[in-house]
Amino acid sequence: MDDAELARAAAGGDPDAFGHLIDRCGLAARRAARAILRDDDDADDAVQEGMLAAWRAIERYDPERPFRPWLMRIVVNAALDARRRGKVRQAEPIVDTLESGGLGPDRMTEASLLRGKIDAGLAQLPERQRIALVLFDAEGWGHADIAVALGVPEGTVRSYVFHARRALRASLGTLAEAMK
Amino acid sequence: MTMSPFDHQPDQELGRMLREQLTGPEPEAFLRRLRIAAAGAERGDQWDVLSDWAQPRFMAMAIAAGMLFWLGAWAAGAVQPAGPGVAMASLPAQTVVTGQAPAVDEFMLAMREGR
Repeated sequence: MDDAELARAAAGGDPDAFGHLIDRCGLAARRAARAILRDDDDADDAVQEGMLAAWRAIERYDPERPFRPWLMRIVVNAALDARRRGKVRQAEPIVDTLESGGLGPDRMTEASLLRGKIDAGLAQLPERQRIALVLFDAEGWGHADIAVALGVPEGTVRSYVFHARRALRASLGTLAEAMK
Repeated sequence: MTMSPFDHQPDQELGRMLREQLTGPEPEAFLRRLRIAAAGAERGDQWDVLSDWAQPRFMAMAIAAGMLFWLGAWAAGAVQPAGPGVAMASLPAQTVVTGQAPAVDEFMLAMREGR
């Protein structure tokens, strides 16, 4: 079943169908929320709040349109609302939570440096540029779907991605090349 | 990593690094948490919105009605006992509509009866 069919089943009262949608979209939503809030717990709370809001409003979803941008817009709004309400904890570097992935000491140091630079690079980007970059490069979304998720024109999304990449390039410098 | 901001295709290397950076710990546990939360949440409908809107207004209307009733009861209790003017109004109808002056004994009878 595709997303729209699952959403239709969920709207008909099938909680398992919505569970499948959570499995498909939950981690992308988490990455977007973490890009906005930059805190594990705040991001997880915002995603849960957004998912529950989507579950309650699932009857209003139009199956003729893509499901993920609709859901992501709700999650992004929940994260932005949490930011606006000041319901965010003190941001800590999220690099500490990552596993080494079996790298040697030198590579681990480089990887840690790279993660720190990515974190710093993301932190300096405006929120919407951050989300656009994550959805485009990490999730592989098209500009049109990102535009729906952010509620902005498609051209604005292209601009967001352009500026975000340029800023991140400046932050990462040559370190990424050294990692290859 | 493709470092051209003009590339309209997703950058696989940058995407991989972003996913590693942002996925967070224990993804399966997180998804399980979301599923449990959704399973325990009530589904909403349009009546929920209406009832959310209606409840505070219903309470306000009930309080206002209670206050009006209390004010009415208080005002009724504060009304002076019926005086002569009121007694005049309760005179027999023919004394009002005939235009003739009421007979004195009829008038005094009405006053004594407290009409």
